[in-house]
Amino acid sequence: MKEEERQRWYEYNHQKYGIPLEYLKREFESELSGTVPIDAPLEIPDKMEIIYKYSYGQQSRFFRELRENKKIYGAKCPKCGKVYCPPRSHCPLCYKETEWVPLKGTGVIRACTVQYYTTSEFIKKLPFICAYVQLDGSDFLMMANIEVDDTSKIKVGTKVEAVFRDTRRGSITDFYFRPID
Amino acid sequence: MRKVAIVGIGTTKFKARWIDKTYFELAYDAAKSAMEDAGIDRERIDCVVYGIYNDFFARQYQPDAFVHDYIGMGLKPMVRVNSGGATGGSALRIGYSEVASGLYDVCLVLGVEKCNDCYNYEVRTTTPEVLRAILYTADMTYDNPTGRTAASGFALAVVAHQEKYGNPTEEQMAKVSVKNHFNATRNPVAQSPQIITVEDVLNSRRIVGPFKFYDNCLYSEGASAVILASEGVAREITDKPVWITGVGASTDWVMPGNRPDIYTFESSRVAARKAYAMAGIKDPINDLDLAELHDAFTGTEIMAYEDCFFCEEGKGGSLVDDGTVMPDGRLPVNLSGGLIGCGHAVGATGIMQTCEIVTHLRGEAGERQVKDARRGLIQSIGGTLCTWTVCLILERED
Repeated sequence: MKEEERQRWYEYNHQKYGIPLEYLKREFESELSGTVPIDAPLEIPDKMEIIYKYSYGQQSRFFRELRENKKIYGAKCPKCGKVYCPPRSHCPLCYKETEWVPLKGTGVIRACTVQYYTTSEFIKKLPFICAYVQLDGSDFLMMANIEVDDTSKIKVGTKVEAVFRDTRRGSITDFYFRPID
Repeated sequence: MRKVAIVGIGTTKFKARWIDKTYFELAYDAAKSAMEDAGIDRERIDCVVYGIYNDFFARQYQPDAFVHDYIGMGLKPMVRVNSGGATGGSALRIGYSEVASGLYDVCLVLGVEKCNDCYNYEVRTTTPEVLRAILYTADMTYDNPTGRTAASGFALAVVAHQEKYGNPTEEQMAKVSVKNHFNATRNPVAQSPQIITVEDVLNSRRIVGPFKFYDNCLYSEGASAVILASEGVAREITDKPVWITGVGASTDWVMPGNRPDIYTFESSRVAARKAYAMAGIKDPINDLDLAELHDAFTGTEIMAYEDCFFCEEGKGGSLVDDGTVMPDGRLPVNLSGGLIGCGHAVGATGIMQTCEIVTHLRGEAGERQVKDARRGLIQSIGGTLCTWTVCLILERED
C-alpha cells in the first residue's frame, strides 16, 4: 500500500476499533508496507461487540437498593427459609417466589485468593483479591473483591464489611468488602 | 442400548498459534485424519456432533454451521455441544447416545478451538483478551464484574482443600507439572514438551493464589476428532475397535456459592461413580491401566485423583509422592501431557484425551505406551469449579 493509503487504513481501523494509532502502526506496518509474501498469513484488526439496554427483571430492586440506598438485600424462600445473596427471584429448589430481606452488610470470608493476572478489562487493578464471602443472614456465598493494604490480613474466617463506592451505577461492584478491625 | 466403538481418531498438533490455518481449516484437518484412520470417507458418516466452546474465540457465532459446510456434511444431521472445558467430553457423550440409541450407525465427533486470534494490543499478547472472552461465560451480573478468572475460581477450591486436608502442597503440585511437561516430550502433538524441575515450577511467576506459571494449563489452538460406530459397522471396518463401556456425567451449581463446600467437586464424584458402575469397575486404581484427567491446573489434577476414587478424600497429594500417577507408576495419569503439557484447545481437549487412550489401547503409543493397556478413564470437566463433569471408560477387545 502507498503511504497515503496506509494512513487512511490506520485512521479507519483506529476509528472503528478504538485501537491507538501507535499500536496499529507497530503491529501492521510491515504488513502494509508490502514486504510480506503474497501467500503469507494475513492478520487484520477486528472486534465483536453488542450494546445493551439490559433489564434486571425481578432482581431490579436489589440493584436499585445498592445504587440509591447503599443497602444489600437478600432473597428469602418462604418455604425452606433459605436466604440467597446473590438474590434469586425464585427458590430453585422449592419453586416459590422469594421475598426481599435487608442484610446488615457484614459477613465472613469463606475462601480467598490473590490474583496476579487477569483479563484485559481488569489488568490495571492487579494485584487484587477475589473471595467467597458469606454475608450475615445469607445461607450462600458470593464472589466479591476485598480491598486491603496488607493482603496477609485476609484469610478464611476474616470478618468483613461492605463499603459502598461514591459513584454507584446499579452494579454488583457498587460495593466491595474490607476487613473489620 | 447398542454397543458403541471408536473406529477412527485424528488430531492436529496442539499449538499456541496456528497462524497459517483458520478455525475451519483446523476442523477439516482433524476430520480428515479421523476418516483416514477409520478407512472411511465422508459419505459413510451419518451424523456429526461438534464440541465447540467459545464463539468469541472463533470470531463467529454458531461456527458449527460453517464447519459442517466446510467438511462437506450438508444434508446430514448435526448438533453443537458446549459445556465449557467439558465440551469435548460432552460431545462424546452425545455422540455415544446417537449410536447407542440406534438412531445412527456412524457418528463423527469433532472438537475445535482457536483462541489466540484474540489479542491485547497494549500488552502485545493474547492471554488477557482470551481471558476476557472466557469471562463472558462467567455469570455476567454477579461474577464477571469482580475480575475473577477460571484460575482464581479453581485456586479458591485448591486453597479450600489445603485448609481442610493440608494438601496438595505447592511441591506436590509442582511435581504434577514436571510429570505432565515430561510426558509431553513423548507425545508428537503436544504443545509444551519440556524437561523442568520442581524448583523451576516453584520459582515461576505467581498467577493466582498457590498457582505459579507452570501450574497452569496452556491456551491451545487445535482440533481433534473421533469416529463412533455401531458394533456391526465396527466389525466391518476395523480389527481394533475400542469400546466405550462407561459414560457418566453430572453437573453442580454454576454459582459455587450455592454449594455446601468447594474443597471437593461433587459433579466429578457423581460422574465417575456412574461411569464405573456402567463399566463394572469396583476398584479404579487396579481396574484402570491409565487415565487422562482434566489438569487445567496442577492442583485440580490432584483433586481429580480423589474425585475419581483413586484414593480416599484428602489423600490426593500422596499419589504424587508415592509415584502412583507417574509414567511408570501403577496408574499413569496424563501420558499425553494433559492440558498442561499437551495443551487445552477447549472443545477439542476431551477428544484429544480420548485419542490418547485409544492410541494406548491399540498398542500404538510408541515410547509412552502403557504395557498391555486394556482399560482407560477420561475425565472432562468445565465451568466454574466443575459445573460439568463427564467421565468415559474405554476398553479394548479381549
